[in-house]
Amino acid sequence: MSALGELQRMRRGSGGTLGGRRDNKAAFVFLLPWFAGLLLITAGPVVASFVLGFTDYNLIQPPVFNGLDNFTRMLGDARLHHALGVTLVYVVVSVPLQLAAALGLALLLDRGLRGLAFYRSAFYLPSLLGSSVAIAVLWKQIFGAGGLFNQFLALFGVEGPSWIADPDTALSTLIVLNVWTFGAPMVIFLAGLRQIPAMYYEAAATDGAGKWTQFRKITIPLLSPIVFFNLVLQVIHAFQSFTQAFVVSNGTGGPSDSTLFYTLYLYRRGFANFDMGYASALAWLLLVIIAGFTAVNFWAAKFWVVYDD
Amino acid sequence: MTSLRKAFKHAVLILLALVMLYPVLWMVVSSLRPDNEIFRRPGLILDSLQTHNYGEGWNALSSPFGHYLVNSAILVLACIIGNLVSCSMAAYAFARLDFTGKKPWFAIMLGTIMLPIHVIIVPQYILFSQLDWINTFLPLVVPKFLATDAFFVFLMVQFIRGLPRELDEAARIDGCGHARIFLRIILPLMLPALATTVIFTFIWTWNDFFSQLIYLTDPEMYTVPVALRSFVDATVSTSWGSMFAMSVVSLLPVFLAFLVGQRYLIRGIATTGGK
Amino acid sequence: MRRIALAVAAALMLSACGSGGGSADQELSKDPVTLRFTWWGADERHQRTQKVIDLFQKKYPNITVKGEFKDWNGYWESLATTVAANDAPDIIQMDELYLSSYAERGALLDLGTATKYLKTADFDKSALDTGMVKGKLYALPVGLATYSIVANTDLLDQYKIKLPDDATWTWDDFKKIGDEVSKAGGGKVTGVQSFGFDAGSMNIWVRQHGAVLFDEAGKVVVPENVLAGYWTYIRDLAKSGVAPAPSVTIERANGSLDQSGTATNASALATWWNTQIPSLATASGAKLKLLKLPGESQSSSPGAYFKPSMYWSISARSEHPAEAALLVDFLANSKETADIMLTDRGVPANSKIRTAITPKLGEYDKAAAEYLDTVKVGTAPRVTPNGASDVEAIIKRHTEEVLSDRETPEQAAKAFITELQAEIDGA
Repeated sequence: MSALGELQRMRRGSGGTLGGRRDNKAAFVFLLPWFAGLLLITAGPVVASFVLGFTDYNLIQPPVFNGLDNFTRMLGDARLHHALGVTLVYVVVSVPLQLAAALGLALLLDRGLRGLAFYRSAFYLPSLLGSSVAIAVLWKQIFGAGGLFNQFLALFGVEGPSWIADPDTALSTLIVLNVWTFGAPMVIFLAGLRQIPAMYYEAAATDGAGKWTQFRKITIPLLSPIVFFNLVLQVIHAFQSFTQAFVVSNGTGGPSDSTLFYTLYLYRRGFANFDMGYASALAWLLLVIIAGFTAVNFWAAKFWVVYDD
Repeated sequence: MTSLRKAFKHAVLILLALVMLYPVLWMVVSSLRPDNEIFRRPGLILDSLQTHNYGEGWNALSSPFGHYLVNSAILVLACIIGNLVSCSMAAYAFARLDFTGKKPWFAIMLGTIMLPIHVIIVPQYILFSQLDWINTFLPLVVPKFLATDAFFVFLMVQFIRGLPRELDEAARIDGCGHARIFLRIILPLMLPALATTVIFTFIWTWNDFFSQLIYLTDPEMYTVPVALRSFVDATVSTSWGSMFAMSVVSLLPVFLAFLVGQRYLIRGIATTGGK
Repeated sequence: MRRIALAVAAALMLSACGSGGGSADQELSKDPVTLRFTWWGADERHQRTQKVIDLFQKKYPNITVKGEFKDWNGYWESLATTVAANDAPDIIQMDELYLSSYAERGALLDLGTATKYLKTADFDKSALDTGMVKGKLYALPVGLATYSIVANTDLLDQYKIKLPDDATWTWDDFKKIGDEVSKAGGGKVTGVQSFGFDAGSMNIWVRQHGAVLFDEAGKVVVPENVLAGYWTYIRDLAKSGVAPAPSVTIERANGSLDQSGTATNASALATWWNTQIPSLATASGAKLKLLKLPGESQSSSPGAYFKPSMYWSISARSEHPAEAALLVDFLANSKETADIMLTDRGVPANSKIRTAITPKLGEYDKAAAEYLDTVKVGTAPRVTPNGASDVEAIIKRHTEEVLSDRETPEQAAKAFITELQAEIDGA
């Protein structure tokens, strides 16, 4: 049987077992640090934040229980709905673009070219700056009224507005910022590509398969767990995006709330308005939304992710 | 690949790299300009190389900037070790072992990264302040030794699941228990995932501003991101030159870490099965 | 797991009831005492304050002062977190926007109880009034500022435009001069840098029209039509080319001081707090002059007022309130502090100190100090009420909406009042 055929015998699906008891003892040992962390460090604050969601808490005086008031308030909170909309657009647009850029560059930079170390570092470098204080200024230099992008457009006779100051385009600059920092998923894709045994490609070549077929039949299936990983995590990460919006809009979510990400709104309510009870409730709503998207991702995985176990 | 195609590929990559790197280049160039010129001239051309920003920035805060670099380095090293040890163990369990409630526990593990830090920080601060850990590195390091970075656990799980089970089974036939399989077989084959963990832990810890701001109250304990913010103040003129200079200085270790570390990323599986 | 949750919840409850370590007029301790002192600022301020701390520690060898400094945004996050955990620093640099929020909830010490060590005799009553909340002094003003017009005289000279008579000019005159500059500037320079992004401009406008933003009870009482007039004027400045195009204005407003129109010599006139002129002069490199606000002579009472640049407060839960009061007294009244800090924290509110250091000041610092002494001010507006600490962000957002033509000035005025009142009610 050909090497490709063997690959096609691999089981499709989310893999793994449902959770029998066979290795309970061993699992306990291996999971001990994680359990300890969960109990001692994570559980307390997480439960506390849940409880706080049902209180009125101004950080200075003790929390006061207020039942479901925070949650009913969410229904009428127009700025919250707006923030949700902004965040959804951000997630749905920037994540696929970012992953596509990351995968494309990873494929280009995998092997077969000189100076790969330099290129990889060059494309990774922007993501090191993504959350730094300097990024606000840098982004203005590019997308401001007199910025580089407009100078570039001027070459074609197009006069651009201030992209960061116009409420209709400010979000797009943040989407570009997210795509610009594709270094992290790119690195993960690179690692994933390296883990595909060269022998599979060799076997396929001897079977007469061309580059495109190799890509479709070997690279994509074997890389799919990694693509899945990047997708799940970039979605979670994008929903929680905070620092870029904070730094570029100077903490306001402006102009005109066009960059008011969900977590930025949450942060302002918690710290600027001393409304930590409501902020905690908002955080748990976000968790439910993220969990929902993640669950959908996991469910859809069984149609396209291939595991070897 | 023909040399024409290679040349074309290089050209495209170089152009793309320049576009990607323009902001960084502008920052480096600005660090070599005096403060009042930085915004008056947006171009990249330097007519004079002025390195005074580096000297000023180095000495601007209460300790020389090197002190903050060392603080960050110590913190980062501890976090890397913590993550490598604890996350790989947890990942092995989730990827290879069979145990009660595996799916729910996995969901909980993923769930822990879905809550934004801003609502956790107050209860967490109270917790650490009861333990008297404030103003030490402990609140930042101990969680790493307890696999709280679910990102890396999940990453490693996905990598391990990409490794064929036949290897484990072969070892089991040879009489190896889980510990041996983990240490002798899985870990070495996971090198790209481990390298990724090292690189990302390094970079994220190096750049993590919020937790470090909240837990490190004594300026002597400050790390790089907190120290960098001290250059910026919205109400007076900011020392942009010094800030850019020190940003460049802080970028270097991370960049070097990546340059060196990526070599380990590319060490893939040389052989499979059959020993 | 449940026990942990209960423990954390209990800790949250108890944390707010922690008691301080005695009263502020007890005897100073003979044992070593450590005080935590927090402030925001940039590196210049950190270095100077550290020198002041060193002097204090030399004077009182048994007191150690640990300085904790952050940038503006990180400062408030940190303060809120530490107060929530009953771990607040002893001496807190405070801002007018947050004063009520902390004072009315019991986080700050009533400085009236600290008079044994903290002397306030050299402060004018009008200055001290700015730190009063519900009749008690919770914060001592450090420096004072007042709203002003900064004019770039180099630009005006270049376009051969006469400097206006700032004792009598009106807002129409302001627009007219701005228009002359814009026409002469031909696109690169505009007459004025738009305002509408801080509470200062709004307060001035409201007061000149005989109203106030908040009443004593903390309710929003400014009439809608006054605010509508405010935003109409701002919109007209932009539409007539006197101020830059909206997107340019919005972009500059989001940036820092040295990216503003004044600092980049792109606007000839602008509204600023008078104490910002030294930084502006450094950034712009041109000659700048402080002018009185337009419309002052026409209104029944002066719109101008003293705004404290920042205050000193003491945590109500401090374990060493007496020693803390001693440090605040040193910061506010000692000549050694004044000689080191000069105007880094604003023109000193302590009138005696202000006179003492004026000879030492640089050209623009001196101009700011002299301006403070010569401008006519009315009574200070009420401290920003509890719950309204976000007022500047709300003003900013509505100005952006009006400039981008997404809201009419009337809609902005109505929405602003509703939103601000809702925030105050919810606090």
